[in-house]
Amino acid sequence: MITQMKKFIRQDTTLTVLLGLLIFLILLFGSILQDKFFSFDNIQSMGYQIPEFAFLALAMSIAMITGGIDLSVVANANMAGIMAGYVLTGAVFGLNSGMSDLTLVIIAILVALIVATLGGVFNGILIAKFSVPAILATLGTMTFYNGISTAITEGKGVVGFPDNYLSIGTSAPLGIPLVFYIFFIAFAVVAFVMVRTPFGQSIYLYGENRIASLFSGIKNEKMIIKTYALAGFLSGIAAIIMTSRVNSAKYNYGDSYLLQAILVAVLGGINPNGGRGKVTNVIIGILILQILQSAFTLFAFSPYAKRMIFGFMLLLIMVINFIIDKWGARSKSIAKDSEVVPQEAK
Amino acid sequence: MKRLKKYINQNEWYLMGIILIYSIIVTTQNSGFFTLENFFDVLKGSSGMIILAMGILVVLLSGGIDLSFTAIAMFGGYSAARLMMATKIDNLAFAFVVSAVIGILLGAVNALIIHKFHLPTMIATLGTSSLFSGIMTTFIGTKTITVGMMPKSLRAFGGFRLFEMVNDAGSTYGLTVFIIPVVIVVVVTWFILYKTMLGRGVIALGNSEEAAKRSGFNLFWIRMFIYTYVGLLAGIMGVIYVAEVNSVYAVALYGTELTYIAAVVIGGAKLTGGEGKILGTLLGVIIVRLLNSTLVFLGLTSSWNGFFTGAVLLFSVGLTSYMSRLRSRRNLTFTD
Repeated sequence: MITQMKKFIRQDTTLTVLLGLLIFLILLFGSILQDKFFSFDNIQSMGYQIPEFAFLALAMSIAMITGGIDLSVVANANMAGIMAGYVLTGAVFGLNSGMSDLTLVIIAILVALIVATLGGVFNGILIAKFSVPAILATLGTMTFYNGISTAITEGKGVVGFPDNYLSIGTSAPLGIPLVFYIFFIAFAVVAFVMVRTPFGQSIYLYGENRIASLFSGIKNEKMIIKTYALAGFLSGIAAIIMTSRVNSAKYNYGDSYLLQAILVAVLGGINPNGGRGKVTNVIIGILILQILQSAFTLFAFSPYAKRMIFGFMLLLIMVINFIIDKWGARSKSIAKDSEVVPQEAK
Repeated sequence: MKRLKKYINQNEWYLMGIILIYSIIVTTQNSGFFTLENFFDVLKGSSGMIILAMGILVVLLSGGIDLSFTAIAMFGGYSAARLMMATKIDNLAFAFVVSAVIGILLGAVNALIIHKFHLPTMIATLGTSSLFSGIMTTFIGTKTITVGMMPKSLRAFGGFRLFEMVNDAGSTYGLTVFIIPVVIVVVVTWFILYKTMLGRGVIALGNSEEAAKRSGFNLFWIRMFIYTYVGLLAGIMGVIYVAEVNSVYAVALYGTELTYIAAVVIGGAKLTGGEGKILGTLLGVIIVRLLNSTLVFLGLTSSWNGFFTGAVLLFSVGLTSYMSRLRSRRNLTFTD
């Protein structure tokens, strides 16, 4: 039993730590807040809130597995949301175009996804074809996309969407929010792509060693463009969910999500240097963050206190990972030494 | 000419060209741009940014990145102002000392975390940035300091001019006193980077950590210097910022750190470390500030700031990265 557990822990230390932390937090907040924490309302509202930034965290994770980063996810999502918002409010087709609301909604969704994907492709081209370091390229596009959003809206919000667009964010078939289903399916698909397809494997290989990946015949440039396009596409989904939940689109929505997306990716064991980390672990990271968020809201913490705790957590997780790595390396080297000793004794 | 070539590299000639062409375009559109008064205005608005940019340059040269300096600047400036109001010590030196000490301490926290746990500098300082900002807003306060509450010495410092002139409309303008700390910081940074072993250590660390270690540099003290220096400059900038805007919102600068880094990067500093110059950094700051403060002369609102800053940033990093890519392809290396 103990050896089995040891084996499990060795196999995926990140998962063990995360699961431990998750159970600890549920028990902790559960015992302090009791019914308030386990109430249907609280759990359902978590179901609404998780997908909103989960997609941004997922986009960030994929970029980080390549050894890069995508700082433009939030700016990209806002730009896509604003473009979709213009379609929905009739600024593009005119109010009397005779188009039904449903057609408008479908066009708006397509616009959001296409704009965000193009934003991702542009990131990818800068990184792959111009060899701009990912952090710089996405820093630039973040400023640029944000600039586009601010310039065309003049800093104002785009408001007033049709009801059936809002229902994306508010409806809950079988008591589970629709957005949660979308989140679940998208995560399953991305996890499958990362683990089971050549494309996913090439992302890991590139993150581990891009020159090895190049000389093993992977088309690095095409792969990077596709990866950032995927990150953009996921930001587009986040844009749809965000705008439909708040019934407006604005250039500076979700500013705090950038830090949280990086936090969750690192929390979920994605190595910022690339090549390591599992999308499935990121889900647990997201759950942990959401549980903390909800508990802090129930405790009525100020957003400032939340920020302090999240900053502290990011550092703590990085330090714990460092210590585990060191401890793991040491125990391995001790094991090696003990194997060597008997040979010397002979 | 040869001597000039030694001090000014190709990238910096490009930047000067861009500044010149842009200035000509703006002047043809609006004659109000090319005046001494506007020059002094831009200079005053750039002061804080130049000071921070020197710190960022040092970090980038070492191959690291710091995202926490805006949080440190607000922590220092805001706390100093609050402390002055609480203790009734209305003295400018006091403000600088308090803010600088806070900056150095927080910088030391960064250095310790980065060195002891081998964390990627970006993630570590992203964490400390929220941590510092959170600690300040939770324990020191979030109340906005308005003009009326502002200590007199800070207000006087913000409005003080070294000399004054009168323009055609009869209003006075002049050279801000901020220029003094700016010049000191630039000279000190230049001296440390190019004339001391410490500065050479910073650049060595940026080129290759392993090589720096093996050539006998004490990486711990070099990192300690880098991050406390950024902290110190952030502390100084915090006071200047508070004096300049006259009414301080507790998290005002928080979230703008990437604009400052963008300015230094436009100036030619590489995020991979070891490359970057003081002249280029100054030019980078001038470009960003020009774009931010002169769009009105072209009849555009300030909503266009981000658009143009982003476009210039993308263009300049795209161009320099592509050049170095072509170079490395010719040498058959594929590292970038």
